[in-house]
Amino acid sequence: MWLKFLLGACFVLSLLGALVLELGPPRADAGSRGDIRDVSDKIDRGQDARSLRLLTWNIGNGELEAETRAHAEDLLAVAGVIMDNDADAVALQELTGEDQLKLLLTHLKNHYRGYVCSRGKGDRVEAVLVRDRSDGSERGDRSDRSLRFSDVPAGDRFAAAATFRLHQDVPEIVFISAHADAFSASRRRTFAADVVDWARSRTKNELAFVAGDFNFEVSTRNKTNLFTDDAKHDSESYAYLLKYFRDLGLDAGETSINDRRIDYVFGPGETVSLRRAEVLRGVAVGRMDHLPLLVEVALWSL
Amino acid sequence: MFTQLRLELLKLVRSRGFYLSFAALSAFVLLLLWGFYSYAQQKTSGLATAQFKYTYESKSYFNGLTFTLYSLMFAFSLVIPIFVAMNAGCQVAGERRAGTLRMICIRPVSRVSIVLSKFLVVAIHTYLLLAFFIGLNLLVGLLFVGWGNLELYPGPLNLVDEPGRLLRDDALWRFLYASFSGTWALLVVAALAMLLSVLFDNPVTAVATTLAVYLMLYIVGRIEFFVSLRPFFFTTDMDFWRVVLKPEVPWHNFYHYVATCGAYIFGLLLTAVFIFDRQDITN
Repeated sequence: MWLKFLLGACFVLSLLGALVLELGPPRADAGSRGDIRDVSDKIDRGQDARSLRLLTWNIGNGELEAETRAHAEDLLAVAGVIMDNDADAVALQELTGEDQLKLLLTHLKNHYRGYVCSRGKGDRVEAVLVRDRSDGSERGDRSDRSLRFSDVPAGDRFAAAATFRLHQDVPEIVFISAHADAFSASRRRTFAADVVDWARSRTKNELAFVAGDFNFEVSTRNKTNLFTDDAKHDSESYAYLLKYFRDLGLDAGETSINDRRIDYVFGPGETVSLRRAEVLRGVAVGRMDHLPLLVEVALWSL
Repeated sequence: MFTQLRLELLKLVRSRGFYLSFAALSAFVLLLLWGFYSYAQQKTSGLATAQFKYTYESKSYFNGLTFTLYSLMFAFSLVIPIFVAMNAGCQVAGERRAGTLRMICIRPVSRVSIVLSKFLVVAIHTYLLLAFFIGLNLLVGLLFVGWGNLELYPGPLNLVDEPGRLLRDDALWRFLYASFSGTWALLVVAALAMLLSVLFDNPVTAVATTLAVYLMLYIVGRIEFFVSLRPFFFTTDMDFWRVVLKPEVPWHNFYHYVATCGAYIFGLLLTAVFIFDRQDITN
């Protein structure tokens, strides 16, 4: 009889234990992330920090649309989101070409300057926008002559890069708008490696940020435990990016339909501190299948 | 109770199924070694390194500890539960089928102790299986693949969200922890098989039903259609065993799942005991 009681007691205790020990935050395997944040916080408090707002958004449309690239009629809303969030630099993906960039800049009342990358083998281009402060009206202490745009050759496509100075007191910023292949993990890996290498080769004292749609998802919420070549390639792409950068939008949540986090903003690991990372929900228009990711970091004076 | 346990252990070590389970796991390790070795060779030489100059496709990544990790992850979900279910499902139904259950029950031992001693033997067998499997993998990995640190990357195996590393000695300790946490998780399957073994006359039916329930929940739990049902499957809770292999173990979550699996194990066992206690055992 005592064995039955013992079993019953074990059952009740386990049940109570399961109820009392509620699940904690989902990510406890943060590795060195906590250390980086601690260092950043100290620097942020100790010095006069300047804020940099970066936004990335794939403004293309879902597969069901006849035209999956950005729609011209959506650009007014895109401009509204950019203006409302006061972004310093914006990475946009899946534009049809320079015409759409010009239209968008018009909607932005020419408060931004922009560039689209070369088309490469694809039918769509990436754009990078930087707020134009040459008129000196806002925080107008950036010399506009510092703004430069360039193509970033990566794999069989291109990314768009802008180099600019936010303020004379802070280092120059290199901001890259990237869009990796949606269908081949192997090509994504080559693309990611080339973008990282380009960013590293162009930055000595500059701060490099890589933003865009990388089309890989490496979250632990994917419960298909079995090993695939694609999963390994994507894992290696992400690992290579994290070798030199920090995933600033790590805790911001999903950025695409079907609860996928495939849009990223990568930035320096130790020399900036993260103030805010947020996926702007409810702002997508038409049949857009991505949401914009807004990241705000603090830069400190030289 | 202890005599009963000793007798059950004797039965276990004298059964062919006991040795078959170790032989099958050894064959699995050899198969995986061939796959892992040829894959590592292919990915760390020639065209692969020319195409992908960077990242973790290096010879140091493919080492004995990584091999053990992959092998354990794959076997835990789909291979080891088969042997656990086979052993536990045959415990009562097998005796009934062989005609020995009635004889056991007329002896001056309580039916509760019969069920519990059988379950304890299943638990010992499960731990031996897991410990043997991990040990064999480490040995084979050391001899044929090489030694090093355990590098963990997001993506394959879905173990971490950021790249991490376990130093060799720490990794060995983690594998030891995994042998215990894995056993605890597998005992949920064992307890289910035990209950079905009490319910069914035929051991094949008990084993097949256990595996059917386990695999159905395991597969359904990995289809996004059923994402809202996933938290209610015991297969989801069983997944906790592998968090001990993360660089930083989320102990609070770990204890929660240990308790949840404990509730399944003791709940199923208690049900089995109550049913078996009132069962009319006929020939």
